[in-house]
Amino acid sequence: MEMLSSLLLIFLIGAITTYFVDSINRKFTGIIAFLFVLLGSLFFYSNIHIGDVFVFQLGGIEMQWGINDYSYYFSYIVLGLGVLALLYSIKYIEGKARQGYFYASFLLTILGMIGVIISQDFVSLFIFWEIMTWASFLLVIYNAYYKVKTKGIKYMIFSAIGAYAMLTAIVFIKEHYNTLLIGEAIERGAFNFQQYRYIPIFLLLGFGIKAAVMPFHVWAPAAYSKSPMSFTTIFSGAMSKMGIFGIGLVLSTFYLQHNPENFYWVKLALGWLGGITAVMGTLYALIQVDAKKLLAYSSIAQLGYIVVGLSTGTKLGVMAALYLAVLHAIFKGALFMVAGAVERQVGTTDMTKVSGLIRRMPWTFFVALVSIIALAGIPPLGGFVGKWLLYEALITESNNYFLVIVIFFSSTAAFLYSYRFLFGLFLGQEEKETEHVKEAPISMLIPMLILGIGSIIIGSFPGLIFEPAAKAMQAIGFKDVTWQMSLLSNIWGNTTHLFLISMLIFSVFIIAFLFLTLKGLKKTRYVGTKEISTSGELPKEWENFTFQHNFFKPFERAASPLYHLNMNRIWKDLGKNTEAFFGFFRKLYTGNGQTYALYVIIFLVLLLLFKDVIFS
Amino acid sequence: MNDIIFKIGGAFLTAILAFTVGMFYAGLRRKITARVQNRVGPPIYQNFLDLLKLQSKRTNVAHGFMGHMAPIWIIIAAMTVLMFIPILQNNLWFENLTLKGDLIFLLYMMVFGSLGMALGAGQTGNPNSAIGVSRGLSQMVGFEIPFVMALVALMLQFKTTSIADLMHFQFTSGHWIILENPFAFLAALLSSLGMFRYSPFDIVGAPAELASGPMSEFGGKYLGTMMTGGAVFAFIKLVLFVDLFLGGAGNNSVEGIMGTGLGLLELLLKTFLFYMIPVFVGLVSPRYRTEQAIQFFWKWPSVFGILAILWALYKNGTLL
Amino acid sequence: MSEKNTIGIPTVEEIKQAQIDFSPRCTAAGRVNDKETQKMVDYILNFARKHSLFVLAYGTGCGAIEIPATMTSRYDAERFGIRGAATPRQADILMITGYLSTKTLKRVIRVYEQMQDPKYVIAFGSCTINGGMYFDSYNTIKALDRYLPVDVYIAGCMPRPESVIRGFVKLQELIQKGNAGNGECYRENLDWYRENQQKVIKNWDFPENYNW
Repeated sequence: MEMLSSLLLIFLIGAITTYFVDSINRKFTGIIAFLFVLLGSLFFYSNIHIGDVFVFQLGGIEMQWGINDYSYYFSYIVLGLGVLALLYSIKYIEGKARQGYFYASFLLTILGMIGVIISQDFVSLFIFWEIMTWASFLLVIYNAYYKVKTKGIKYMIFSAIGAYAMLTAIVFIKEHYNTLLIGEAIERGAFNFQQYRYIPIFLLLGFGIKAAVMPFHVWAPAAYSKSPMSFTTIFSGAMSKMGIFGIGLVLSTFYLQHNPENFYWVKLALGWLGGITAVMGTLYALIQVDAKKLLAYSSIAQLGYIVVGLSTGTKLGVMAALYLAVLHAIFKGALFMVAGAVERQVGTTDMTKVSGLIRRMPWTFFVALVSIIALAGIPPLGGFVGKWLLYEALITESNNYFLVIVIFFSSTAAFLYSYRFLFGLFLGQEEKETEHVKEAPISMLIPMLILGIGSIIIGSFPGLIFEPAAKAMQAIGFKDVTWQMSLLSNIWGNTTHLFLISMLIFSVFIIAFLFLTLKGLKKTRYVGTKEISTSGELPKEWENFTFQHNFFKPFERAASPLYHLNMNRIWKDLGKNTEAFFGFFRKLYTGNGQTYALYVIIFLVLLLLFKDVIFS
Repeated sequence: MNDIIFKIGGAFLTAILAFTVGMFYAGLRRKITARVQNRVGPPIYQNFLDLLKLQSKRTNVAHGFMGHMAPIWIIIAAMTVLMFIPILQNNLWFENLTLKGDLIFLLYMMVFGSLGMALGAGQTGNPNSAIGVSRGLSQMVGFEIPFVMALVALMLQFKTTSIADLMHFQFTSGHWIILENPFAFLAALLSSLGMFRYSPFDIVGAPAELASGPMSEFGGKYLGTMMTGGAVFAFIKLVLFVDLFLGGAGNNSVEGIMGTGLGLLELLLKTFLFYMIPVFVGLVSPRYRTEQAIQFFWKWPSVFGILAILWALYKNGTLL
Repeated sequence: MSEKNTIGIPTVEEIKQAQIDFSPRCTAAGRVNDKETQKMVDYILNFARKHSLFVLAYGTGCGAIEIPATMTSRYDAERFGIRGAATPRQADILMITGYLSTKTLKRVIRVYEQMQDPKYVIAFGSCTINGGMYFDSYNTIKALDRYLPVDVYIAGCMPRPESVIRGFVKLQELIQKGNAGNGECYRENLDWYRENQQKVIKNWDFPENYNW
C-alpha cells in the first residue's frame, strides 16, 4: 500500500532532480523530466489498482489516499496529457532560460493534480490543491518573470479566493459533521443543500474557479495565453478538469441520496451558469486576433458545456460531461500544441500577422484541422459524440429546454472561431515573411499527431471512453450505466450509428476524391495564392490580401448587446468601489497627533455618556 | 442478398432522384424568375447544360490541397445527409439508413459541407472568399437558432429525436405537424429563407459585391461538383421540411411500382409548393446587410420558436 | 526596289512582311477540335458549351452600357443560356466592350489568362476592330486580335443589343462546329502575343514563370 506515496515521491524526486540537473547540463533537463513523468505513469498503471487505500496519521489528523474508478478516470487525463505535454516541451522550451524552474514547476503541477485525484480526505485535498495552484502560478509567470504584477495577479487573486472558500467549507464540514474524510462527509450528507447550504456552495465556488465558470472566469484568458504553450496544454486540458472533478464530487450527493427534485434550483443555477459561460466564452473567442487567446476563451466555453452536462444530473448528461472532459483534453491539448508550434516556428500567433502556413507546416495543419473539427462537433470525429450526448441529455432527460437553445447558439457560434483559427494561421495568402518557416520538429509533432489521431478514432468508437466513464459514474453513485462501442442511444430509443456514419463518409470521400482528382489530372494546375482574380490587377509580392482584421465584424454588430456584458469590467468596478469605500476610512488617519488626541477624547466622552447603556 | 441489392440500388436511386430533382428545381427557379421579370428565360434543363459544360472544361485551377478538397466536403455532406433522410414512407427502395441517425446528427452533418467549403475558399487567398465565408458563417448562427427551436419543439411534443418517427406519427395519426404545432412550422419556414440563401439573404454569394464570394476562385470541375452538391442539398432541405411538417410522402395504400410512383408524385408536389415560398420571397426582395440578416432571425422567427416550444409543452401537459 | 526610301515610306516587301507579322495567329476558324466529323461525345459537349455561356463582361469602354440592356427583360439573353459570371475562373466568354487603353489591356490579358479552356473572346464595337473613333489615339490599342485571340467581332459604334445577340448566336454556331475557343492556340503562339503585348505595355511586370 505504499504504492501511492511512492508514486508521489517519483514526481517529487523528478522535480528536484530536474531543477538541479539544469544547472549542471541544460541539454538533458527536458529528457529527464519527460522520463520521470513516463516512469510515474508506467508505475501508476502497472502497480496501482482500483481500490488501493493508504491511511496514515499526520499531526493527529487521519489522512487517507486512495483510488477509485472516478479518480482513475481523471488520471487518464492528467498522466496521458502530462506525458505528451512533456515530450512536446523538450523542443518547445529548448533554448529558453530557466528550464530547471520550468520543468520543476511542471512536475510539481502534475504531482499536485495526481494528489488531488487520489486524496480521500479534505486536508490532503486542500494541500495538493494548493501545490497544484502554486506550481501552476510559477508557470503562468514564467514568460513574465519581472512583470508578475500585471500577468499573474488575476490568477493569483482568484486562486486565493477559491482556496479560502474551500478552506472555509472544510472547516465547516469538520464543525458540523465531525469528519475530514470525503466519503464520510458525502454519506453524512455534507453536500446536500438541505441543512448547511453554504458548505456545498463554498466548495462549488472553490472548484468552479478552477473550472473557470462564468463570473470567476476572468483569470483564465490571460493565464492560459500567457503561460508557455506546452504548459497551457495541461493547464487547460487537465488542470481545469480538477475543477470538474470537484464539482462532480460535490454533485454526486445529488446522485447518491435525497431527491434532487427538491433542489431543482441548484441544477438550474449551475446549468445556466454553465450555459452563460459557454456563450460568453464563445462570443469573446470569436473576436480575438491572437490565436492563443482565442483558444483560451474557447476553453472557457468548452468547460461551460461540461458544467452544463454535470448540472443535469442525469445519466446521459453526466456521461456527456465526463466524455467531454477527456475529449476536451484531447483536442484542446492538440490545439494549444499547434499554437505553440506556430509560435515556435514563426515567432507569433497574432492572426493579423501570420497567414498561409498550410504549405509550410502541413502536419501541424492536419492536427489543427482534425482537432478543430472535433471541437466544432462535426461528425464523424469525437466532438460530435459529446455534443449529441449533451443535447439529448438536455432534451430527453432534463426539463431545461431553453438551455438547449443557449448551448446550441454557443456551439453554432463556435464554428465561427473554429474557422477563424484555421483561416487565420494556416489558410489565406502566403506571406513573404513566412517563406523560411519549416515544419515543427518531430518530437513536437508526435504528441500532436497522437492526440489528433485519438480524436479520429474516438469519433467512430466512443466506447473506448464510455467504458471507463461508465465505471466512474458508477463510482459516484449511478446505477446501471449502459454504453455501446459505436452506438449512441437516448432514453426515447433513438439511435445514431457512428461506425456506419464513418464508413459512409469515408467511402463517399474516396469516390469523390478519386473522381475529382483523376478527372483532367494533367490539365489541372496547382497555383499559388497570388494567382487570384483581383479584377486583372497583378498583386505585388509585398501585398497581402488576406482578410484578417475585424473578421466577424458583422456578427459583432448584430450581437452587440451581448458584448456589452463584460465580466472583466464588472470585477474592475467592484475593485474600484471597494477601494473607494476603504479610502474613506483611510481619511481618518490624518497623520496629525492632534487629530488622534481628538479621537481619544471623543471616544472617552462617548464612553462616559453611554456608560450606563454599555456597562449596565 | 436481396437486401443488399435493395440497399445499394436504393442508395443509387436516391442519389439520382435527388440530383435530378434538385437540378430541375434550380432550372425551374430560373424560369419562374424570368417569367416574373417578363422574360422568356432559359429552358428548365439549363442547369444540366451548365453542369455538363463546367465538367467538360479542359483546364482547371486549384489553389492547393484544401482548395481541391472543397467540393468533396460538399459532396460528402450532401450524400451522407441524403442517406439519412426518409424520402418515402414505407418504401424499401428509399429506406437507406433512415433509422440509423437522428435529427441532431442531421443538423450537424448539414453544416459539414459549408465548413469544408469555407476551408477550401479560405485557401484560395481571395479576400472576397474570406468575406463571403465570414458572412455565411455569421448568417448561419442567425438562421440555425429558430430552426433548432422548431426542432426542439417537435422533439418535445412527440417524444422522439428521429425524423423517421416524426414521419411515422404523421402517417399513422393523419395529422400533419404543420397543424399540430404551427409555430414550429412558422419558425422553420422563416429560417428556411436563410437556408436557401436566396434574396434577401443572398449575402454570401452577392455577385455584385463579392464576386460570388466563396466560389470566386472555383471554376470548371470544381464549380460543377459544387453545383451538384448544391442541387442535392436543395432537394434535401425540401424533403426535410416536407417530412417534418407536411406529412412526408408515400402514405398511399397502392402496392408495388404504382405506389412508389404515386409517392414520388406526392413528394414532388409538396416539395415544389414549399420551394416556391423562398423563391417568391427572393423574387421581390432586395438584399439585407449581414447584421440585418442575422438580427432578422433573432427577432420574429425566434419568437415563433419560443412559442413553438411553449406550445409543445402545453400539448404535452408539462407546461407549468 | 531594294534601296530604302529616304523619307521612310515602307517598301512593298516591307508592307507584305508587316501584314504577315501582324496578322492574327489565332482566328475564329481555330485549331481547336477542328474535325470534319465530330464524335458523338464532342457533339454533346459542344451542344452543352454553346447553350451555357458564362460571360465576363469586361466593361472597358462605353460599350458596357449595352450589356445590361442585352441581359434584362427586353432582349433577354438568358434564353440562349447566356448569363453573367462574377470572376474569370467561372467564365467562358471574355467580352471586351469598346476601346481598350493600353493600361487596361494589361488587366485584360491577365483576366484572359486566368480563364479556363475552352474560352472565347468577343470583341465588341468598332474600337476593338480598328480603333474606331480612337484610331489616332496614343494610348488605345487599334486591333485587339494582335494581343488576344478573338472569336467573334461585333461591329458597330455602338452595336445595339440585337447585334450583340447576333454575335452570340454566331459564336454558338462556331462552338457547335468546334471552331471556337483559342486558348491552346494562344498558348502555342505565346511568344508572338507576348511580343506584341510588350510593345504597347510599357510597364510590363508579369512574372517570368507565370503559372496561368
